[in-house]
Amino acid sequence: MMKEQKTFYESGNELAAYAAKQINYHVMGYYPITPSTQIAENLDVMKADGEHEIKLVAAEGEHSAAGICYGACAGGGRVFNATSANGLLYALEQFPVQSGTRLPMVMNVACRTVSGPLCIKGDHSDIMYMLNTGWIILFANEPQMVYDFNLIGLKLAEAVSLPVVVAFDGFFTSHQKRKCQVFADDKTVQEYLGQKEADYTVLDFEHPVTIGSYMNEPDVMNNRYQLHLAMEEAAQKLPSLFEEYGALSGRHYKSCAGYRYEDAEIILFLLGSAYHTAREAIDMLRKEGISAGVVTVTSLRPFPKKELARYFKSAKTVVALDRQDSYGAGGGNLSIELKAALQEAENNARILTRIYGLGGKDFFVEDAVALVHDAQNLNAKTFDYFGITPGIEGPKQPEYFKPLTIDEVSPGITICNYNETSHKMEVKGGILKETTAMPKRIAPGHSACPGCGIPVNLNLLLKGIEGNIVMLFHTGCGMIITTGYPKTAFRIPYIHNLFQNGPATLSGVEEAFRERQRRGEYPEGDITFIMVSGDGGMDIGMGSALGTAIRNQHLIIFEYDNGGYMNTGYQLSYSTPMGAKSSTSHLGKYQYGKTFFHKDSPEIMSAAHIPYVATVAESNPMDFIKKAAKAAAYSREFGTAYIRALSACPLNWGDKPNTERSVIAAAVDCCYFPLYEIEQGITSLSYDPEKNGKKIPVVDWLSLMGRTKHLKKEQYSDVVSEIQNEVDRRYKRLKAKAENPLL
Amino acid sequence: MSTQIDLPLTEEKDCYEIRLESIGGLGANLCGKMLGELGALYLNLNSSNFSSYGSEKRGSPVKAFIRWCNPGKELRISTPIHQPELLGIFHEGLLGKCPVLDGITADTKIILNTTLSPKEAAERFHVSAGSLYCLDALSIAMESKSRVNMVMLGALIKAAGFIPLSLTEDLCKDTVGKKYPALIEANLNGLHLGYERVSDPYTVNNSNISSEEMQAEAKNSYVWGYDNAPIGGVNPRFGSTVSNDLSPSREGYIPLFLQEKCINCGLCDSTCPDMVFQFHPGVYQGKETMVNGGLDYIHCKGCLRCVEVCPTEALVKALEKDYPEKPWSLPNQDLLPDAIEYEKTGPDSYITSDSYLTEKRVDGGMV
Repeated sequence: MMKEQKTFYESGNELAAYAAKQINYHVMGYYPITPSTQIAENLDVMKADGEHEIKLVAAEGEHSAAGICYGACAGGGRVFNATSANGLLYALEQFPVQSGTRLPMVMNVACRTVSGPLCIKGDHSDIMYMLNTGWIILFANEPQMVYDFNLIGLKLAEAVSLPVVVAFDGFFTSHQKRKCQVFADDKTVQEYLGQKEADYTVLDFEHPVTIGSYMNEPDVMNNRYQLHLAMEEAAQKLPSLFEEYGALSGRHYKSCAGYRYEDAEIILFLLGSAYHTAREAIDMLRKEGISAGVVTVTSLRPFPKKELARYFKSAKTVVALDRQDSYGAGGGNLSIELKAALQEAENNARILTRIYGLGGKDFFVEDAVALVHDAQNLNAKTFDYFGITPGIEGPKQPEYFKPLTIDEVSPGITICNYNETSHKMEVKGGILKETTAMPKRIAPGHSACPGCGIPVNLNLLLKGIEGNIVMLFHTGCGMIITTGYPKTAFRIPYIHNLFQNGPATLSGVEEAFRERQRRGEYPEGDITFIMVSGDGGMDIGMGSALGTAIRNQHLIIFEYDNGGYMNTGYQLSYSTPMGAKSSTSHLGKYQYGKTFFHKDSPEIMSAAHIPYVATVAESNPMDFIKKAAKAAAYSREFGTAYIRALSACPLNWGDKPNTERSVIAAAVDCCYFPLYEIEQGITSLSYDPEKNGKKIPVVDWLSLMGRTKHLKKEQYSDVVSEIQNEVDRRYKRLKAKAENPLL
Repeated sequence: MSTQIDLPLTEEKDCYEIRLESIGGLGANLCGKMLGELGALYLNLNSSNFSSYGSEKRGSPVKAFIRWCNPGKELRISTPIHQPELLGIFHEGLLGKCPVLDGITADTKIILNTTLSPKEAAERFHVSAGSLYCLDALSIAMESKSRVNMVMLGALIKAAGFIPLSLTEDLCKDTVGKKYPALIEANLNGLHLGYERVSDPYTVNNSNISSEEMQAEAKNSYVWGYDNAPIGGVNPRFGSTVSNDLSPSREGYIPLFLQEKCINCGLCDSTCPDMVFQFHPGVYQGKETMVNGGLDYIHCKGCLRCVEVCPTEALVKALEKDYPEKPWSLPNQDLLPDAIEYEKTGPDSYITSDSYLTEKRVDGGMV
């Protein structure tokens, strides 16, 4: 019987979140990544308003998010996740664990191209990595289907004890709003799904079980065969689940869908939102008198090969469109699987494979028309890329600068020498006005927001470091604003790597430098290697940073701490202040902002016993420049140096760009961000607000920013005093360390 | 609350398409969302909307797209809009700097936020075709204590000609009123004033302005493709962002340099995110030292951090329009002498998220 529904105007991400809210999952372990982030964000908004009870756990990376989900499943919970692109790949090893041990859950994948070069837009290169993981993969090609498949998917998952991916196009489906229907009452959804009955859980003391055996042959074969059978069972159950859902909702789905394919001689075969674009094109082609149709699949695993083959009975030519490439295989996975399906059905249609729409390249109606026109040519290539351009050789590109010479970058303005007696680095110079003579290694014209703290901090850092520098940036705003192709702001050698692996990558560069130099293949002289992290990169990248520090690699890890994942629209990071609003820690009746304390990265890094740890702030620019010089000297002579700068983000801190230096000064003066350094284990305070009569309560700083100014209200006084106590406790500890060299 | 209206459609085109061109911070994304919702839930149409995608930045070009079709027709297309029926331009600074007029035809209704009259604007900005409607949305927004996007929304629905104002009011009450009841009056006022004060249409027919000039320019430029781009996305053009002209990021203000007050302390250089200050060796108070030679306004985004830190008020906040010739303007002095052609651009424009900041970003105002 049809259940009551209501009309929404929402995007795919919003509908995924709404379905999750109606299901009221026990746990969502997640890590923000564009374009799937809105799912967690929307669930957080609803959580703040008390609309659901899902425990939302912001992991420190996708690998951990998948771990949280796996554990929560083993604990008998209903579990939800959402990710994209490299996040999916980072967690990839967890997925066969989940399916192989047969723990059902639902994960949404807003499909996005896999880096690098880094691109945040949509294609199917991520989802195809899932094909061999043993997960069921349903693919929704419009927002309404995202909602529906989230419900059907969970029911299927629990019916066959396999995890399910609900995939859809990043941006095209995840972000475009459409009119759609949802069940009016959450109870309808809960009744449809029923109570979860876990096969096994690790919280069952009456029936203690071991999940995750150590297993070899022949048992692994049998385990895999069981998984195969479950997938077969899923294929069998899916049609009846679709039918049952159709009766409740009035929306009827199949594993395949087609449009004007019945009598078509040329059939386009593609996945995702482009299916609908192609339908529009088919109507135009039919008007031209061309016998064309289009077919898609909505279930990638199990792959409905028998059913699919029926859609191609009349086809003489099939244009199989892949939004990813299995390089060297002569097609993307979709066209390869179609070829296999048609071969089994003894269908000998000519199949042309076209790789299209990579990196979010739009697929227009005209494109679909052109592809069919091309397919009318009997000599058309069997494989090609569609939509590539050879480039235009215009006039010679201007040379903007000469490469900076070693003499130009070594003017002797800031010199650092090691004092053998005091065992400390001593800095001469570093005078602010003199350092204006340092050439800028980063060119202007970068695309940071007006007043952004990142370039300010980079400039101060680089002012203090003479000689040759190689830089590596983690993913984040710092990287996005400087290297938007086809331009780059860097005037010195630069490399990017994804956020969990920056320090390790730079370690490799450094080792290659030393080894090549040792072999006489590289000129004499030293290089300062600088790894730049920020935007929460030290959450997901902490492991790599600690490994690098423990190996004591000769490099600087520089963190611009802007207190959030700003490059993806400000989700909380572990260094977001407690109580701060973010798009994953909303303010509401049931939530006051972020619920745990800011991460103390300098303390963590100092526990690796590296030669130099320091904190810096643009409000004390001379101190900043001198510490930069010291860090460079330590990194060249002794090993790893770590510097953390508090970095303003006017957009997401919610303050005025021109006031940022005073906001940073207030963070220092309230001791939230104390300035100190640890040289070879010995701590010294660089600036003591108490001694200078500048100490202010932490709420005075919090009140300066839109993200935290709600905390000054009486109702949040408990939160504020908790923050104040923690800041005071950390500061007292720091002072004790400064007073006692052994600490 | 919904009603049935007739979309002005043609034989060839069964969707009604709207494109909004703006810079981040003016609320075009939300305006697009509201128009999408208006279509879906108040006009009983099939409707979709989306914005240009990417990471979210302030002060940068943003596009929003809205597609409507009659309820009997399914909305299938999810690609950006090339030939809109209705084109809203939220910031006149975009004209001539960004291709915001792409795809206009004689049938396009263009709604432009400007202090100029439609005739003046058509000439000044080389508009080639369409019907041009103008209004000073910024002043109206300030007068009504609402925001540019609400004023533009009023003007857009007026120009469209088939959208009842009363339903748009309902939409505003529902979307704004739900979250910020205190702001509803001001926003409704902004909507009304936009509706009332938008100019009559001015039919533009400047067929002598063709796209040939642009095409000639495109022919001259060097574009990387699979034949000539270095492999792996490697970029050997070090420092090439210097060719970006970021002046469109400014929101009306510049730092003005009063050189006689400058003590050459270097604080401005320490706080500037955009490498604007051109220090060079010189003499100050009889001593050889680094001196502030001027400002590279091509790259200044007008954040005014320098004004805040300058200890002697040698840098002050000034209205850019008062200084068409900026004193102490000095291009980046590390540049090689060959004149470079700057490319007008703002910071990357991107929307990835509809976080609360999108709506509350501008000085406490909503929408």
